[in-house]
Amino acid sequence: MAKFTRDMVIDYADKLLIGLTDEEVQMVLDEFEVIDKNIDLINEIPNISDVTPMTHCLDNFEFELREDVVEESTDIDDLLQNCDSTLDREVKVPKVVEDNGIHE
Amino acid sequence: MEYMNKTIEELHELLKSGKVTSKELINESLERSHEIQEKCNAFVTIMDDAKETNVTDNLLSGIPYGIKDNYSTKGILSTGSSNTLKDYIPFFNATAIENLDKSGAVPVNKTVMDEFGMGGTGTTGHTGIVRNPWDLSRMCAGSSAGSACAVAAGVYPYATGSDTGDSIRKPAAYCGIVGYKPTYGMISRYGLFAFASSLDHCGVLTRSVKDAAIVVDNMKGIDKNDMTTWDSSNMHLYDSIDGKVTGKKLCYIKELCDINMYPNASNELKEHLSNFNKALDKCKSLGMEVCEVSIDKTLLNALASVYVVISCAEATSNMSNLTGFIFGPRGEGNNYIDMMKDYRTRGFSPLIKRRFIIGSYVLQAQNKDRYFHNAQRVRRLLVDEWNKLFEEFDAVILPVGSGPAKHLDGSLDILDSNTTALEEHLQVGNFGGFPSITIPDGFVDNLPVALNITGKCYDDINVLNIAYALEEAMDYKNKIAKEVK
Repeated sequence: MAKFTRDMVIDYADKLLIGLTDEEVQMVLDEFEVIDKNIDLINEIPNISDVTPMTHCLDNFEFELREDVVEESTDIDDLLQNCDSTLDREVKVPKVVEDNGIHE
Repeated sequence: MEYMNKTIEELHELLKSGKVTSKELINESLERSHEIQEKCNAFVTIMDDAKETNVTDNLLSGIPYGIKDNYSTKGILSTGSSNTLKDYIPFFNATAIENLDKSGAVPVNKTVMDEFGMGGTGTTGHTGIVRNPWDLSRMCAGSSAGSACAVAAGVYPYATGSDTGDSIRKPAAYCGIVGYKPTYGMISRYGLFAFASSLDHCGVLTRSVKDAAIVVDNMKGIDKNDMTTWDSSNMHLYDSIDGKVTGKKLCYIKELCDINMYPNASNELKEHLSNFNKALDKCKSLGMEVCEVSIDKTLLNALASVYVVISCAEATSNMSNLTGFIFGPRGEGNNYIDMMKDYRTRGFSPLIKRRFIIGSYVLQAQNKDRYFHNAQRVRRLLVDEWNKLFEEFDAVILPVGSGPAKHLDGSLDILDSNTTALEEHLQVGNFGGFPSITIPDGFVDNLPVALNITGKCYDDINVLNIAYALEEAMDYKNKIAKEVK
């Protein structure tokens, strides 16, 4: 198992679009060391790999398909009221597709 | 005359008989909110324009209450105590709040929490730390810090909370009040800011068990907007409390409760466990049987890491919608990636950033089995152990934490190798979705300490009844915090 390194922390932070200070990187590494030690202990539990992972609190959820009934949609003005930059009825964002200079 | 130190039942009687009006209660609650804000910094928003409601037969009608700031409230700032949502005003109410609205309850403030619920100290909210009303140099614990602080300080009889690890039940302990999280899915999570969906519970903080039952009766219900809710319409929590507990069987876990397990025990821990033993004696005098049981220490010691791995993984995914484009303050930059990065870097506190990175790491394909799946496997083993106990016992009774509220100056909320299972065992209640309630069981250094009662899923009435009987046999209910230091 590759050790969780400073470079890896920075790489993951970058993928999550989060910037970290040096101090914050060290905090991640310190906390992770404790987790890693505990995971080592977990791996020593006999036949741990045979246990089915538990993903929810309750195993007896009952799911029903609802009738396909048209419901009133949320008003667009309501949806946009928390947006800092809008144009008419849409969210305004900077240009996503860069101009690469190729024109046909 | 003060009213906000009274129980919901008492306030209802006073309102019905016309001895006080809803408006008068709201005014007192708002005045008290401003006083407590000065001292303890418990609120993100105080609704000075809160309007009285008609007093009906509903016990909550006309009575003020507080809302943790991760519940969506229509037209009212809802920040989750995060800079990333510092200007966010929802256009809808969370279902639990909508239900309380229908009961005629009157919200008067939004309470400070650890950012998005991801902390246990009440120190990571974007508006600053919350101070414990018993001792301003100590924490309230978290994440429902402001709610616990305000209820303990007598701002109102109850406030909503949410609980992913112990976020209702630990602050309740540190503030000397009751914290109740019902069985998973009894209260809809629709409109509650998601942290770790498989562990998140709604619940309440009150000063008595009966009040907790009254409030949850009014919050709960099946909801088409939350597919994990179930029909509890035949469960009437408040009406079912009768205090009859003779013959009930309780167990406590030796590895957590035996002082000999802690060779370097502090005086606080010794007194806390001694208090707990006195409470066990009370249980016996009420006609309950109390037995000691054992749980594998490896499982107990793994608890905290299992929680961190699962909750961080789920949080990383849940919070990927925080971009700053559709809501939240827009970040700066020349392109959308730089804008998002600016928003998230400046918006999240160091604690949250750390948890996202751990969450992302444990979900990588090459790491997933070692960390995430193994954590989920131990989750099952722990829940199975507790369910085995519930085959023989009505509830598990355990002390909460290792003593009274911790000092703020040593409160760095980092998981370290000294973290004991005693501090973290309430997380099993979230792993299994068990109904779980904390009640005060005494004082150490003049500060409140507490015990917790947890039962099997859907057995909320039994859990509440045991808690009620024990609460009645002790002398710690309906206490208003007095500054002792």
